[in-house]
Amino acid sequence: MTLTVVGVSHRTASLDVRERLVIGPSELSRALAEAAEATGAREAVFVSTCIRTELYLAGAGDESVAGAMALIGKRIGESAEPYAYVRRDREAAAHLFRVASGLDSMILGEAQIQGQVRDAWELGRSASGTLLNRLFQSALGVASRVRTETALGRGAASVSSAAVQLAKQIFGSLNGRRAMVLGAGEMAELALECLTSEGVRAAIVANRTHERAKELAARYGATAMHVDECWAQLADVDVLLCSTAAPHPVVRIAHLEAALARRGHRPLCILDIALPRDVEPEVRELSNVFLYDLDDLRAVVAANIERRREHLPSAEQVIAEEVERYWQWVAGLHAVPVVTEVRAAAERMRQREVAQLLRKMPNLAPAEREAIEQLSRALMNKFLHEPSVRLRAAAANGRGLAVVDAARYLFGIGAPEAASEATGEADPAAPDHHESTDER
Amino acid sequence: MIAIAHFIATTFYLGAAALAAAPFARPVRAPVRGVLAALALGVLAHAIGLTAFARSAGQAPLTGLGPALSFAGIALAVTLLFVELVAREVSLTLVTAPLAALLAVVANLAGLVPQVEPPGGQGPWFVAHIALSFVGLAGLATAAAAGTMYLVQRRELRSRRFGSIFRLFPPLATLDRVNHVAILAGWIGLTLGILLGLAYSLTFHQSNMPQVVWALGAWSGVTAIALGRVSRGWEARRAAVASNAAFAAVIILWLAVRFVASQPGKFL
Repeated sequence: MTLTVVGVSHRTASLDVRERLVIGPSELSRALAEAAEATGAREAVFVSTCIRTELYLAGAGDESVAGAMALIGKRIGESAEPYAYVRRDREAAAHLFRVASGLDSMILGEAQIQGQVRDAWELGRSASGTLLNRLFQSALGVASRVRTETALGRGAASVSSAAVQLAKQIFGSLNGRRAMVLGAGEMAELALECLTSEGVRAAIVANRTHERAKELAARYGATAMHVDECWAQLADVDVLLCSTAAPHPVVRIAHLEAALARRGHRPLCILDIALPRDVEPEVRELSNVFLYDLDDLRAVVAANIERRREHLPSAEQVIAEEVERYWQWVAGLHAVPVVTEVRAAAERMRQREVAQLLRKMPNLAPAEREAIEQLSRALMNKFLHEPSVRLRAAAANGRGLAVVDAARYLFGIGAPEAASEATGEADPAAPDHHESTDER
Repeated sequence: MIAIAHFIATTFYLGAAALAAAPFARPVRAPVRGVLAALALGVLAHAIGLTAFARSAGQAPLTGLGPALSFAGIALAVTLLFVELVAREVSLTLVTAPLAALLAVVANLAGLVPQVEPPGGQGPWFVAHIALSFVGLAGLATAAAAGTMYLVQRRELRSRRFGSIFRLFPPLATLDRVNHVAILAGWIGLTLGILLGLAYSLTFHQSNMPQVVWALGAWSGVTAIALGRVSRGWEARRAAVASNAAFAAVIILWLAVRFVASQPGKFL
């Protein structure tokens, strides 16, 4: 078996099970050592996020799955069978590619997972090797391809980013725009973070409690003020974000009419993410006012997620192509021990023949000896170049493993297991060999 | 050759519009390079057609109904191509490219045949007068296209419909900026064009009342919007409505003047 992934995710387990499986950076080395011991795998990488913990293994036997299950069971304190899933070989590669591309995320197409997969690989580099390094490298490449070639990651997928999307649809870039945030709670902070990351230049935080407003304002380089003082500032503001806990509307039509008279014809985007709403619904009727509440923002998110789903076939197509490419590379590894062995045998033969020749011609000058050495080396390389290239190509295209077998036979090279043990390399040949034989 | 080139140009203009509309039909991004390439090829084919006309007729394609409409079409397409190359935003193609195609088709149907040129018709003043006037009108057409899109997008945003238009049309600020720049460019082109026309009239003692009426009508409309925007600080919606109204008025005035006073085969 070349590749295996054993994991638990939001699709198979509830939060209380998943949280027992989270592996922090501090315990990663120990967890990888335990995994290597329990599974007998040559390579291992953990991907652990808030919605999944997965163990990727390479060069492991059939018993590795049981070992991984036992490891998971030990962490969650019960049998892992009901929660864990296992993917092997091509399916395992496709699974990681889907995960890295955000196809398996709670929010379809979310981009954060790509960074998390990168971090998981970087942190686990000590335990990964040829197969997993290439697999994770490919996964990150696939995620980038999916992101650029499809619109799977486009459009806001959270309320805060939907608020930003709406504001941008009015103002274009938010760079240099002025925003005012009413309220200083968690939602206000999230929205403020989104706005400042988009380049909003001057932000005002207005709150009933001045201290809390000051605290939040200080964190984002904004100006704090009491909510009663903020109305005078409305004339200069482009985006008004309301997120107070007030039980009644805070922003009344009278506040805005006065401000609108002073602000000319510039549009004002009001994002009311409070519940109950902070803005009187009649405000919507004012000219140049664009008012959106939580339902609107959720509608934007729902529409975006729906559109992302339309791009799933294109993303799956990219993933299928990349799995095929990765697997061709894996299959190409079959040829490596054979080529190495053939070259080693040829080199031994060359050295023997040259030595015999030189013994028969003892009076040769050093330069002449060197010329013979070079000639023999060049001839050997020329003879072996084409077979080496073709052997790798035949192995890589998945249809030519018979050629690899033929090469073993013709050059008198031992069984793959023997070769693998001799080199200490992972042996990707064994299971795939049967698969390819069947195809033939 | 001339008609075939116009047919090819029309096909490319419509192709560019179809490419720009692709995201409305399928879950794909607008192929910006494809749209720009199709527009550029359309302009190239159109230019080849007009060059062939100029060679065979021995006159610039500026006088006569067919040639003048064709020139208006290429002026509009070049303006569109320029705006989109600068903005890397191709949704304006949806409105403007079909308009350029329509002008090319009508020009073809009206007949791309040479007319008897007025005195000094080959001179630089006359050529510059017509060319700049058409560039001015192309600016007004572009402003009207941006204004139409602004009004549609604004309605989507105000009525909280988050469909394809919300997603694929440019932001209001972008459309407003295009409208603003296009109307100013249109005003400059039209003003220079009319001044050159005046100089030409005085030099060659030529005057054509239908042209004077139409030119002054168009100039008044564009000037009113430009003044409104620059000195009165018109809001984007008012400017968008005014651009559309002015463009429609220019077309209606042209049709009316043609109906009342124009001679067959002449632009005016």
